[in-house]
Amino acid sequence: MAIPKISFSATINGQKIGPVDLPEDLMAVELLQEYLNLTGTRLTCGQGVCRACTIIVDGEEGSRTVPACITGIAWLNGRSIRTIEGIAGKDTDGRPVPSPVQQAFLKHFSFQCSYCTPGFVNAATVLVESLAKAPIPVAEVEGRILTALDANLCRCTGYVRYYQAVREVILSTPGLTVDGPAQTANATVKA
Amino acid sequence: MRPIDVSRRQFLASAAALGVIAAVRPMRPAQAAMMPSPVGQDRGWFADGKLRYRRDGMAKVTGSKVFAVDIRARDLEGWPDEQSHAMTIHIPRADRIYEGLDLSVLEPDGLMPDVLVDAATAQADGLSMPDPDFYGEFFLPAGQLPPMLGQPVAIGIWHDYERFRAARALIRFNNDIFRWGAEAAQPARAPYGAAQYVRIGGSDPRGADVFSAMKDYVVWPATSPQGVTWPGPDDAAFGAAVRHAAAIRTEFDSPPEGLRVFRRHYSSQSIEHVTMEPENGNAWYDAATGTLHVIGASQSPYSAAEHILHLVTESRFTLNRLDFVTGYTVGYGQKEHQSFPNYVALAALYGEGRPVRLVLDRWQHFQFALKRHPFETDMAIAVDAEGRFQAFTCDMIGDGGGVMNFSPSVGTVAVTAAQSVYYFPKSDLKVEVWPSIGVTAGSMRGYGTLQSMAATEMLVDDIAAEIGMDPIALRRINVIGSGMKNTQGAVPSGQMRIDEILALAEQDPLWTGRAAKKAEYEAANPGMLYGVGFGAVQKDFGTGAEAAVVSLEVTPEGRLAMRHVANEIGAGATTAQMLVVEPFVGRPADEVEFSVQDWPQMPLVTEDQPYTTPQEEEDQLALNPFWVPRFTSPRSASNSAYYFTHASQQAAQMLLRLGLWPAALSIWGGGPDGGQLLPEPVTIADARWQNGMLTARSLEPLSLERLAERAHRDGLVTGACVHTFNRWAWAEADFDIDGQQFRAPIDAISVKWGTGADAAKRARMSDGGYAFVPRVKAYYPPVQRNNAGTVYYAPCATMVELAVSSGSGEVRILSHKTWLECGTQIVPELVSGQLEGGVAMGIGHALYEDLPVGADGPGNGTWNLSRYRIPRASDVAVWTQEGHVLPALSDNDPPKGMAEVVMIPVAAACANAIAQATGHRFDRFPITATRIQEVL
Repeated sequence: MAIPKISFSATINGQKIGPVDLPEDLMAVELLQEYLNLTGTRLTCGQGVCRACTIIVDGEEGSRTVPACITGIAWLNGRSIRTIEGIAGKDTDGRPVPSPVQQAFLKHFSFQCSYCTPGFVNAATVLVESLAKAPIPVAEVEGRILTALDANLCRCTGYVRYYQAVREVILSTPGLTVDGPAQTANATVKA
Repeated sequence: MRPIDVSRRQFLASAAALGVIAAVRPMRPAQAAMMPSPVGQDRGWFADGKLRYRRDGMAKVTGSKVFAVDIRARDLEGWPDEQSHAMTIHIPRADRIYEGLDLSVLEPDGLMPDVLVDAATAQADGLSMPDPDFYGEFFLPAGQLPPMLGQPVAIGIWHDYERFRAARALIRFNNDIFRWGAEAAQPARAPYGAAQYVRIGGSDPRGADVFSAMKDYVVWPATSPQGVTWPGPDDAAFGAAVRHAAAIRTEFDSPPEGLRVFRRHYSSQSIEHVTMEPENGNAWYDAATGTLHVIGASQSPYSAAEHILHLVTESRFTLNRLDFVTGYTVGYGQKEHQSFPNYVALAALYGEGRPVRLVLDRWQHFQFALKRHPFETDMAIAVDAEGRFQAFTCDMIGDGGGVMNFSPSVGTVAVTAAQSVYYFPKSDLKVEVWPSIGVTAGSMRGYGTLQSMAATEMLVDDIAAEIGMDPIALRRINVIGSGMKNTQGAVPSGQMRIDEILALAEQDPLWTGRAAKKAEYEAANPGMLYGVGFGAVQKDFGTGAEAAVVSLEVTPEGRLAMRHVANEIGAGATTAQMLVVEPFVGRPADEVEFSVQDWPQMPLVTEDQPYTTPQEEEDQLALNPFWVPRFTSPRSASNSAYYFTHASQQAAQMLLRLGLWPAALSIWGGGPDGGQLLPEPVTIADARWQNGMLTARSLEPLSLERLAERAHRDGLVTGACVHTFNRWAWAEADFDIDGQQFRAPIDAISVKWGTGADAAKRARMSDGGYAFVPRVKAYYPPVQRNNAGTVYYAPCATMVELAVSSGSGEVRILSHKTWLECGTQIVPELVSGQLEGGVAMGIGHALYEDLPVGADGPGNGTWNLSRYRIPRASDVAVWTQEGHVLPALSDNDPPKGMAEVVMIPVAAACANAIAQATGHRFDRFPITATRIQEVL
């Protein structure tokens, strides 16, 4: 049989891929998992509902998230993509150096099974990057986090520790808010 | 897993079908382990004596391969690189005869599977599902009526991904691939289980019962396709219980003056757990060597490996070696004793030498993964003039779906939990769980107790309104106190602290100010109805047959190495178990190997019939020091904190008692004049770890490194491997080791002596480098304790503040607050994470999640998250929630399993808050916007 193919090229985590012939209806998550062995982008619903498969697409207008399970490679062709495997840095011994978002998730014990964690890391990373370009008042931070991350589903955690971690990153990083780092006292889970 | 009600009769029937009656199995045929992962490479999780993040944190937050679903053939050393892909094909209806598959849609494009395995293939090759009564059959044969929606009929295997995905696109949602015969009605099937617990207390709630399951018996009625035959009052075996129960029911029908009986009916729905990691596995059968390698996703890896072992050895395929490897972590809550790992293994046998990956897509996962049982429940409570509960009846009918699985025990756990946090002088609790054409229901967070206790908490709130009492005040005058008996007649372990929680909740401003806030909120928000609701429960944890194996040894350099049966399901067990040994050996384990299933150090035998072996038989078996009632237990959300911690700490205590302490005495007592020890004699009771150093009274603090060096030099015990067993009490045994005679709450031990051990000791260390030391005498908890149902509880309460739109019926949770008591928190951050996640899941149950149980249900293959709403952050008041954990009673108050209890009270609290908001009491979950709209 002849499966229709397209010539695909992209930059993934800073590395140029292609040109390579791939099925034209291939979804990004399939490309990542089955062709590139980048399995950190996790598939759950296959409908773009749960956002476990959230990846970052970089462009001139900035970064944005897309669900890799319903984003075809035809749309990604020629674009620059970041996945969870490209978020942390590496030290001289090759050990991971977590990003500020990842570090905050660790510190706050944000995840349990962690299946959804890459999606949260990427969504929060794009949020932080967007705030660096357009900071907001501290009073709007919690609402903005909710808007940015509400699409990401988690079945273990109840979201609280993800959200607390992202708030800490935003409030402790200069330039993300217009009225400076500040403390808020609303989140009161104190087990 | 809590199969407390699998009767010996049922067991024998099922065992006979398998031809394995009472087979004593050696422990070594199946090897299993945790797959290689970056977890363990990172050392940053614990530094300077402090936990910085969870042990697996760095691997997880960087998206490393930690799940079974992440693994491809090329990731595994020794496996061929070529990866084949398999797909199960599930039948979407159960009302017509299945006549076979028609995959001609694949032919024009050359997409036919390279291998197709169906019922005929499997039968020809001698492959049948292990324990089919429990797991169902592999495939539906042509010519038969499907017993359930979602039943697999075949597995297709494609040797390249692109053809696989193209074929999948043509098969998915395509019901034309099934050839149908005549319409047919489902035959009558016997209920999966039924039981009755009757208790007539004595005059003292802490005194002797007149009748109870614990003192007397559980009523096990006969079942047949005609239904449940409940015994009559003259029944030779159960007549007394029936007569007591009848007296309660008669009183409820004609209550004496001063007694009011409140009866209600409640409905709880079928739920999809939505573990985000789907059912999956990857396996390779190497026919040349007869080796089967399986990467599986399971919370019960030992059982999965055992089943695969039997599956293959009883077929035409040669099996010389089975390696069952679990993912480092598991998308949990839905993968305990499920049949899927067997499908993974079967697919590999037909892989033509290539590794085969089998993964359910989310539609298939809805179609086939285990579900939460729906229950229809009739409850009644008799209340006297002062508001005191005098009697309780509960009748539950559960729907177990297409295959039995754990339905019998889910039913009994559900009904025995129905008492919630109250003491009832008299009670009659009955449950039946029936088959249906729905997707199989099984072990799910809450294990039936969400369905029963949430109903009780709704009824109690309703009663409070009816009799004009404050709902929390009503709870407080009826709360079960320490030493009082539960509805099975068992005395719960330790102090019952639920009333401490009720006292806190009663004084909470959200509660005391709720009437004023309602008026204020509704005035400020026209069209919104405000309410505050409360629920309080206590949840058992454990199965009544909890077994574990742990080893802990110290190297000559003083590094602590642990091996453990625990596998990580996400809740943090692997982090916690490393930490819990610290009080006995001075610091957490340095190295650890989890999910260990191969224990040559512990050469035990078992029939694994802990619930059904008669006392006399068990007494005889226990004379064999190699015998234990069960080897190990599956992982579920609530059993590691208490049961695994006990095993870990016992291993540490044995290492201290037999190795480190004698080494310390050797150092302190060194020298010709008895050293510093002579004027300051000490016993092991004086041992204290301070800043990682062992001291006693005024003796010189000693580092673990120094102790280890001495223990090894002197040939003392430097490794202890223990086995533990709990049947609502710990098994104990007497031991005689290195001249020490002692009794300990373990039932088997092996030891490893240090490098300086003499030749005789070295010769004895032939069990995986250890020497098994036969116990002198074992003391197992009596088998009658199986009737206790449970004695270990964790209490929890939640208060919810919400607003209901009078127009749309939409519920918006404004805030909530949860109180929990769980003994000592091993890692408080992990406890609060479980709490927050449990509350979110409970909100989903209360307000959103619902699956039809008939032909339109998930077994038809059309369900996914687009039509099944689980809570988002915006649904759970993510910024406005609180959690409070009561302080532990003492520094050795054991940690309690708490991961299930936290999801339950919030469901009732939501219902009770909606009642306060709308004036309408709902009796059916979920309380959706549509249902609210219908009554407003």
